[in-house]
Amino acid sequence: MPHEGSSFPAAVWAILRKECRSEWRTRYGLNAALLFAVTSLTGVSFAIGRLSDRSDVLAALLWVVLLFASLASLSHAFVREVEGHTLTFLRLVASPTQIAIGKLVFNLLFLGVIELVTVPLFLVLMGAPPVHWGEFLALMTLGSVALATSSTLVGAVISQTRGRGALFAGVSFPLLLPVLAAAVSGTKSQWAGNPVSAEIRLLAAYAVALFAASLLLYDHLWED
Amino acid sequence: MTVPATAIAAGHVTLTAKGLQHRYAGHRGLDPVEFDLDGPGVVAVVGANGSGKSTLLRIVAGLLRPSHGATTLTLDGREVPPPDRRHHIGYAAPELQFYVEFSVAENLRFAAEARGLAGPDAAVALALARVGLDSRAGDRVDALSSGMKQRLRIASALLHRPPVLLLDEAGSHLDEEGRLSLESIVAEEARTHLVVLATNEPREWSLAARRVELSGRGLGHPA
Repeated sequence: MPHEGSSFPAAVWAILRKECRSEWRTRYGLNAALLFAVTSLTGVSFAIGRLSDRSDVLAALLWVVLLFASLASLSHAFVREVEGHTLTFLRLVASPTQIAIGKLVFNLLFLGVIELVTVPLFLVLMGAPPVHWGEFLALMTLGSVALATSSTLVGAVISQTRGRGALFAGVSFPLLLPVLAAAVSGTKSQWAGNPVSAEIRLLAAYAVALFAASLLLYDHLWED
Repeated sequence: MTVPATAIAAGHVTLTAKGLQHRYAGHRGLDPVEFDLDGPGVVAVVGANGSGKSTLLRIVAGLLRPSHGATTLTLDGREVPPPDRRHHIGYAAPELQFYVEFSVAENLRFAAEARGLAGPDAAVALALARVGLDSRAGDRVDALSSGMKQRLRIASALLHRPPVLLLDEAGSHLDEEGRLSLESIVAEEARTHLVVLATNEPREWSLAARRVELSGRGLGHPA
């Protein structure tokens, strides 16, 4: 048989490398996301100075900046394939689930790079180092996983629809709201020195549930 | 370019369609069609513009779920369900586009790696040599002419040495040398594999021992 046993990890790895190389060459999302994050943080910092005594504003600002900086690129992971007419090529070399997992891992990496620049800058400009680094990092990680998983799922579902921009906003809002609410609440509690285990559990459970739902859905995408 | 004997060994292939038809949003994409094909050999799918040739090939490739009916692909008596067909089918069609930010070889190497081919570099080199595109391996796809892109589509279909080749308008944009190369590839593949050509070109019909004629008038005509 000509088929030489394409393995799931090999296909996911190939798609991840393809996404990274494509982003590196085109800078489709990274430059715009970093520009948004850095300019908005700098602008807020100049306007209102340090906010170390306002844990509620700090938490909301951090997650709003991350959300807006990353969402345009995360939601376009599949749209780029449709608009570039490369989705057929992709579907011929990998299953929908392999494609989606590869793109999800790329979105996580993308979000990680954005956070690597944005979060330290945020902490310095706002003068608000985390009270408990472990809890802060756990909230950032789980919030990012939930954010990337929901954006990838919605991006895949709406990629071949008309009016996908409006549809993305409409479909992703109810999915993103619990992520944002738990992440903001947990981050605020962390800065206030309160326990955050409930928010961490909620984010972890939500990320797992979204990922499981994604696995069930992906193989039924793009059949018509 | 002669393909190594080990690369072209394949078993018995059958491809059947029963009560197959497809509709897009109230329009006919493919009128009911039935056939029973077996390979090796060449089959031409012919019909007027919009009769559903491309739709038929997309259904066979597992890229589209038909509104009614089904196709069955068997390899050595083992049925291959539509989601797994991409492992066993090489597909080249005008809709197939590549990543313009990558070179010709990078596009095929990505495909080879995603397919899990052993020796992806050798597979890419062989596929490019077969279509006469080896000298352009390092060029970006957006620097290729229409004819060169067509050769790349064919190379992509040949990459994993599939037992079934689906070639939709395979000769489009090709110059005389490209057409001769295509005819040579089809003849070579047909010795051991099933090659399905969707075409309106009499020159390509002549390569086929059998024809599947689509009678529908296709899109634009209400269901």
